[in-house]
Amino acid sequence: MINAIASQSGFLVLLSLFAVGAAGSLLLRRNDRLANYWNGFFAIAGSLWGILFSLVLLNATRAVSFAAAPSIFPLLSISFKIDKLSAFFIFVITLITLFCSIYGIGYIRHFYNKYSIGALGLFYHLFVLGMLLVVTADNGLFFLIAWEIMSVVSYFLVIYDRNDEKNIKAGFLYLVMTHIATAFIVFAFLLLYKFTGSFDFDAIKSGVSLIPSAVKNAVFVLAIIGFGTKAGIIPFHIWLPGAHPAAPSHVSALMSGVMIKTGIYMLIRIFLDMLQPVPLWWGLGLLVIGSVSSLLGVLYALTEHDIKRLLAYHSIENIGIILLGLGSSLSFLSLGMPSLSLLGLVAALFHTLNHATFKSLLFLSAGSVINETHIRNMEKYGGLIKNMPQTALFFLVGSMAISALPPFNGFFSEWLTFQALFQGVSTLAVSAKWVFVAAAGALAFTGGLALACFVKAFGVTFLARPRSGEAQEAGESSFSLRFAMGALAALTLLFGIFSGHITSLINRVGNDLSVFSCTTSFVSAFPDQSLAVGSFSTVSAPVLLAFLVAAFIVVLLTIKYLVYKNQKVTTGLTWDCGTDLTPRMEITATGFARSIVTIFKAVLKPGISNATEYLDEESRYVPQSRTVILSVKDMYKSYLYKPLDKIAAAMSERAKGIQSGNINAYILYILTALLIALLLVK
Amino acid sequence: MLKLLVKIFSTPDVTIPVTPADCVRTEVMAVGKKIEDQVKRLFRGSLAIRQVDAGSDNACEQELVALSNAFYDVERFGIHFVASPRHADMLMVTGPVTRNMAAAVKRAYDATPDPKIVVAVGDDAIDGGIYRGSYAVLDGVHSVIPVDYQIPGDPPSPKTILCHLLKILESLNGKPAES
Repeated sequence: MINAIASQSGFLVLLSLFAVGAAGSLLLRRNDRLANYWNGFFAIAGSLWGILFSLVLLNATRAVSFAAAPSIFPLLSISFKIDKLSAFFIFVITLITLFCSIYGIGYIRHFYNKYSIGALGLFYHLFVLGMLLVVTADNGLFFLIAWEIMSVVSYFLVIYDRNDEKNIKAGFLYLVMTHIATAFIVFAFLLLYKFTGSFDFDAIKSGVSLIPSAVKNAVFVLAIIGFGTKAGIIPFHIWLPGAHPAAPSHVSALMSGVMIKTGIYMLIRIFLDMLQPVPLWWGLGLLVIGSVSSLLGVLYALTEHDIKRLLAYHSIENIGIILLGLGSSLSFLSLGMPSLSLLGLVAALFHTLNHATFKSLLFLSAGSVINETHIRNMEKYGGLIKNMPQTALFFLVGSMAISALPPFNGFFSEWLTFQALFQGVSTLAVSAKWVFVAAAGALAFTGGLALACFVKAFGVTFLARPRSGEAQEAGESSFSLRFAMGALAALTLLFGIFSGHITSLINRVGNDLSVFSCTTSFVSAFPDQSLAVGSFSTVSAPVLLAFLVAAFIVVLLTIKYLVYKNQKVTTGLTWDCGTDLTPRMEITATGFARSIVTIFKAVLKPGISNATEYLDEESRYVPQSRTVILSVKDMYKSYLYKPLDKIAAAMSERAKGIQSGNINAYILYILTALLIALLLVK
Repeated sequence: MLKLLVKIFSTPDVTIPVTPADCVRTEVMAVGKKIEDQVKRLFRGSLAIRQVDAGSDNACEQELVALSNAFYDVERFGIHFVASPRHADMLMVTGPVTRNMAAAVKRAYDATPDPKIVVAVGDDAIDGGIYRGSYAVLDGVHSVIPVDYQIPGDPPSPKTILCHLLKILESLNGKPAES
């Protein structure tokens, strides 16, 4: 039975479940309700099968590897290879898809009779299918096709809510950025092909010694730009805060929780698997990129008031944290310390899994709030904990996990990342050491700012009093939404408590890569779920949990029996100095973040502009309305993308000279180009 | 609401007579010393007073403010005026209680933690004084909240206020006014 699942046919069943789901949704597009149920059923069945399949493969001894069909093109082979790294990513994808699909059944009801549910189902299934193909493809060209399926289909999901002009714009930016990124990826694969003579990953891997080091470095830069754009590293992230919020919430959860991880998957696959051995500066470069992304990501998140954009910026931050793990892993490997290197990889992969769970949880809870209030601006929320207590609880769990508070899962992967960085600080020579010191500092700083940001997000959204009629009228979400959120919240806790199990599982994933095939990891997990990094430090989830519970009980008892012992407790109104407290007196998201924004004004460049409208423009005694606009300057747009745009525009202006509009001239150009090409290729 | 009404009627408004001659003859310092002893005995050395202006003509406020100036300086006797009824042991209400201020006075009373002492300062606060019978006022603090003590005078001088305060504290007899 187990052999039957972990085989070629098991994988094809997985793909076909999603394919049938896609086709069926399209056929049933006339009936919204039927399409929704079909969509939900096949997505849930497919993800359950995917979880089973990947778990079996993670415990199997050998990888599944096969070519689906003899290809008619010489360089393209539709071949799959599912080793433990792929299986791990299949697990992450299907796990999150499962809960997003359950959530989707209830969530997409409000699209009935507005947009086509069948189309949504089609794109949703194709999207998951694309991601599954991306993490299993074993051929460069086939991979690119899968990558394009994923990218283009997710574009359609971004513009699904097409009545909003902003979504169309965000989708367009996404489409442009993702294709520029694909161009870099294509170029990277072409370089690899030129020197190894094949697009097959295995062939590239075995022929890696043929690649000159300069070309390898070029491939590194191309891959960082290409896959980094998809992963959302700064400064290639500009599409992400626009595109993720535009999609329906359960799709945002998938995009932010899972899709950007495919970029990480390919970085691991290329750097750690295919191009080994690599120079030291690659790892250090990744550390720098990771530090910058995590710090700037969280800083921009602090300035956001749109709840989904805020979460999208946090994805950038967490990708940065994952890159810190991956970067330390690469550095250690180049320095010949595979045991420490495996520690870095485990940290990165564990954080990948954790970020997928808590980020999708946060997006789903944000979606639940948006579904009830129909607004995304946090300043207009407030007091939702009274109307939506369960959603508030789930959002709180997600916030605690993303802020790396124990006993939730975010803590353990960030702890491992810290350990990897500290090991670098304590073992490495001077120059590399300082990069690790800076990275550890950036990570600590990021953790603190993330906590501040989620105090803001949770407090402004759920506490105090409603600041708008919509927030006042909101009610609790339907069962399928609450079930999906609750299950994910439970998972964030379970992944934290059973961090020992998961770490040893990920250790095995690492050992499956050929560079780590006979490496014992520097991090060891014990049956009592405690983790030990060498003899340097240990952490134990059950002990932490027991300590927290004990501390909670002690504080509760102290308050009850010592502080309140001789006191009568009366409830009354808040003292308001005789006036009436209104929601306008509450602290706002802007106000809360303003002090931190001011501290970082060198980076964020906050601006303030006042405008006063007078009743009588002549006398200017009686102001009619005052407007204060606080803004944050987008550095990348003004210093990177605007100049690039200007250069492109100037070049197009030059090119206008040969665009005569005369068809004979164009035929001449084509002929010249053909002749030159023929001469060059011979 | 009914409870409050019952309490308003059941609370005796006590005016402790202080003969003007007594007060004039005594030095501020002597009264102050005695007040300090009482405050130490009853309030562990610190009596917090919240002053509530219930539509007063500001005469009483002038005199109350004078208590804090360099000459009287009541802080040295352990009395201090606080910014919020939440921190107060005693409410000093001035003014005849205009209709607009009635709700605010009641809220301030509710916000003061038990046990609390309410003192109506000035003739206006006791029964409306010169504003008595006006359609705009409610004729005294006792019509809105239960008043425990009254300090007459239009306005009472700072020294008079101190003398009354001493009498009030002496009459408390170890037990602050019932809540």
